[in-house]
Amino acid sequence: MNAILQTNEVIGGYGSVQILNGVSLKVDRGQMVALLGGNGTGKSTMLKALSGLLKPWSGSIVFDGERIDGLRPDQIVQKGLVQVTQGKEAYPAMTVEENLLLGAHVCRDRATRLRGLERSYTYFPILKERRRQLTGTLSGGQLQMLCIARGLMSEPKMMLLDEPSAALAPQVVMEIFRIIGRICRDGMTLLMVEQNVRMALLLVEYGYVIKDGVIHLEGPAENMIHDDAVRMSYLGGTVANSDIKLSH
Amino acid sequence: MIYGLVAIGISLIYSGLDIIHFAHGEIYMLGAFIGLTIYNQFHAPFVLVLISAMILTAIVGALIERVFYRRLTKSGGGYTVAGMGMVICGFGMSIILQNLAFLIWGPKPHPFPITFGMPLEIGDLTLPSSYAWIVSAAIVLMVLLHLFLKNTRLGLAVRAVAGNKEIAFLMGINVPLTITLIFGLACALGAAAGVLIGPINYVQVLMGQGILVKAFAAAVIGGFGSLPGAVLGGLLVGVIESLGAGYLSASYKDIYAFILLIFVMMLRPSGMFGVIAKVKA
Repeated sequence: MNAILQTNEVIGGYGSVQILNGVSLKVDRGQMVALLGGNGTGKSTMLKALSGLLKPWSGSIVFDGERIDGLRPDQIVQKGLVQVTQGKEAYPAMTVEENLLLGAHVCRDRATRLRGLERSYTYFPILKERRRQLTGTLSGGQLQMLCIARGLMSEPKMMLLDEPSAALAPQVVMEIFRIIGRICRDGMTLLMVEQNVRMALLLVEYGYVIKDGVIHLEGPAENMIHDDAVRMSYLGGTVANSDIKLSH
Repeated sequence: MIYGLVAIGISLIYSGLDIIHFAHGEIYMLGAFIGLTIYNQFHAPFVLVLISAMILTAIVGALIERVFYRRLTKSGGGYTVAGMGMVICGFGMSIILQNLAFLIWGPKPHPFPITFGMPLEIGDLTLPSSYAWIVSAAIVLMVLLHLFLKNTRLGLAVRAVAGNKEIAFLMGINVPLTITLIFGLACALGAAAGVLIGPINYVQVLMGQGILVKAFAAAVIGGFGSLPGAVLGGLLVGVIESLGAGYLSASYKDIYAFILLIFVMMLRPSGMFGVIAKVKA
């Protein structure tokens, strides 16, 4: 069994509203996987369940051989599963370096923390330049880089990415995805939740499409890029039809 | 200065727990009484009395948070959602603590029988040397707090929890434990204020009442949730109060803090170092 993350029929939601209706997916060690879907399909909820911010109502989530559903988020981070937030979730009242050090909070020794800082500055030189500046001075792309670097600080076994392309210009998205690709080739396992289907499928090896709280489609990324069913389920069926014209 | 210490506690609790702690005046009172009892029993040097009162009150505070306040968050959403319930619980805790103090120490005001030596003479002012103690102790505490928050791993975690709890969780921070720690810290500071003021005023069960509202005003003036603001607010309130009492009328002493509050609210509603409303994920 090469799966580092495996979920089985996860059901959950908020209050009395059920969002996840039985999500089963898996990620192998060293694999890059995308979880795709439009708004309201349940992918953010699933991400929260994986990182521990949401307790599933039933079903199981197994990471690296241990059940993690129901654990506190900080306990899950300690087990080596880290969620990389969107850029806007960087702490505005702290400097770049302080944000990075926060990512290393679970690391007890200075050496690991310093190593983490060095690695962050190697992947993202712009962070080194601005390391003593408050994060309010950074651009959207730089903030996302900061959050990715922050997630790497604790040297996790696997990363969960929360829509890294959100609110970013296409050029910036490409640059960030390139760096993510580099990080993964250096050995990281990745599950990326994304709305930008095309870019995500160009980067990852395997994809899941979530719709109405269940996995609707899955398969190797190269297949899914050309799959009409993917486009239809994501775009809802009408806009995907190429004979619609925007008239003027 | 005293207002500053209590105000810091209030702002700390607000930024860490998103609640307004109405029993904080009683924490101040409790600290004073614990300090007094320790002194009367052991006749220890003042610094030791101060430190042990801080630690003991912090522990009591942490217990209160864990046992009572924490339960209000059981229905999920954390302290933010429990807000209204917390206000009422705070009032209730305030009454409980006052009555506990009545039972233990009695209703009479107790003097803090400690002498600090000869009064200081600065220029043509003669100050009781206890004032010097208060000011220097308060400054030391504030500096220590600042260093803790800025330069230690735990201090960074506290700032993270105060800023955004969900993200703090994702950083691997044990948020519930940190919240208890923040509360204990705030209580320690409140207790310190109580112990420091003991030698000047009598220690009595109702001493928390007057101080809570003024410290609250100080925290608001400085910008609710901002720690440097709380300090500055405390200083301002203290200064305005003394000036007012000295030059205008001593019998209306209590009003000056609130006049200042109204004034600042009119000019700058978010307080001097007003913190922007936090974004809840």
